[in-house]
Amino acid sequence: MKRRAFLAGAGTLMASGFTADAVSAQSSTSRARVVIAGAGAAGLALASRLRRQMENATIILIDGKKAHHFQPGYTLVGAGLWRPEDVTEANAAYVPVGVEWIEQAVAEFDPAANAVITASGQRVPYDFLFVATGLKLDYQAVEGMDAGLIGKEGITSIYAGPTEAAASAAAIDRFIEVGGVGLFGRPQTEMKCAGAPLKITFITDDKARRRNRRGGVKLIYNAHNPALFAVPPVHEKVKSLFAARDIATNYNHVLKAIDPGTKEATYATPGGDVRLRYDFIHVVPPMRAPDAVRKSPLAWQSGPLAADGWVEAEKATLRHPRFSNVFAVGDVAGVPRGKTAASVKWQVPVVVDNLIAETAGRTPTATYNGYTSCPMVTAYGKAMLIEFDYDGKLVPSFPFIPPLEELWVSWLIEEKGLKGAYRAMLRGRA
Amino acid sequence: MSDFNPVTLFYILHESLGSWLWVLLALAFVLLAGIVSGFVKLRRAGRTVARPMLAAIAVGLIAAAVFTFAVPIWTLADTGALGAPVDYVIAFVLALIPGAVVASLVFMLAARRRPMPDGASFG
Repeated sequence: MKRRAFLAGAGTLMASGFTADAVSAQSSTSRARVVIAGAGAAGLALASRLRRQMENATIILIDGKKAHHFQPGYTLVGAGLWRPEDVTEANAAYVPVGVEWIEQAVAEFDPAANAVITASGQRVPYDFLFVATGLKLDYQAVEGMDAGLIGKEGITSIYAGPTEAAASAAAIDRFIEVGGVGLFGRPQTEMKCAGAPLKITFITDDKARRRNRRGGVKLIYNAHNPALFAVPPVHEKVKSLFAARDIATNYNHVLKAIDPGTKEATYATPGGDVRLRYDFIHVVPPMRAPDAVRKSPLAWQSGPLAADGWVEAEKATLRHPRFSNVFAVGDVAGVPRGKTAASVKWQVPVVVDNLIAETAGRTPTATYNGYTSCPMVTAYGKAMLIEFDYDGKLVPSFPFIPPLEELWVSWLIEEKGLKGAYRAMLRGRA
Repeated sequence: MSDFNPVTLFYILHESLGSWLWVLLALAFVLLAGIVSGFVKLRRAGRTVARPMLAAIAVGLIAAAVFTFAVPIWTLADTGALGAPVDYVIAFVLALIPGAVVASLVFMLAARRRPMPDGASFG
């Protein structure tokens, strides 16, 4: 009897798991023509889910990029722990069977005519459009800066790509060996993974301590506004950690120029330009929507997100308010937060469920609460698992992991858990 | 956590481990088969299962305790990375995997041993 009860319980448990998946996997028999602009994390996750849930639809993916990079891993490449190969795969490995992939960049959006124009001039019509182009790293907006300088003359940036992140790791090692002043900071624009500039600061500090070279380096973090992080309790925590680790902080400092020759960085501040000499600098470039998006009618026309051309979107549904058959997902979405892979993981099911509902004649009800996550690495082997929503409210996924504590278990998630979850997300399975 | 259903967890594990997942599952199957075979042997020989089982659990737990301190190294951290109680608990849970392998091997070996003379203790 006990054995029977156990089997029944196990069966119920398994069934509840399968049911949970089945509920979110509603399907539609619509023959709609769906175009996804961009084959990054959001584009591929969308393609996978749509292919499975809309088997009669025509799904077209447009992107000229062949390589796929696991960008959340760039910090660990910059830390010297992972290799560029660990974060580099091929997009082709994740494009689902039955999805047409046009291997060209998107050159233009024509939402009034429901069409996308590719770099070769091919006009691709759609019934529904998902804009998932990602964003543009605008290194040129910092005078004197060029992505080609990364890894040279003490200039680093883990954002530009895996090779540049590895070059940055080597530059961090050289800086610690030689000593001097290291500058860190973030741009004034919206940016992807806003925790990464803080992470690389903590990593440099910890690496210097482990080599008994902390006395030889002075570390300065230049925040773009009066806070180190947009979520107040996280700001307070990082502030206390920086103070304990002798990392100096300047507020309201926005990097506007660097001079690799004299090794001087110029910051715009409320009191005028300030020049700081450096031996090492980690540059996080201003980030904007890609030109094709920025110049299109899809971009915000006014408000704080208009200047950089982010796609106008209702923050709960990610649907365009002026073009109701258009959705924005991932980095390019003009919503207050959400430029992380963790955000994509929660955004994709919402827009897919709503499209399925709409094409199946039901009322779309799914909403996105702005969830984003940042496993904030604070040392080798330690991290804080910070998750929050649009309101800046901390929303921990695991009740046994306090978000503002430096824990190895949070590092475990960063180092071992995220990549598998990310790949499963690309396949529409997480 | 509501999102972590068995199907999702399977896909995450599959994407994390790749073909190693199947190797590990095969190993688990072999060990399970060995344990079942050990049970059958002990029953047929009319011997008690309790002693080999207790020995296997004891050795497995000791192995897990030792592996707990090696788990951070697997994550490219050092053993000193464990700090909070939750770190130790999760590291121990992960260390139970090699601990279970050791326990299974001990049980299988113990089940193959000849019965001990009266009065001798299992050890």
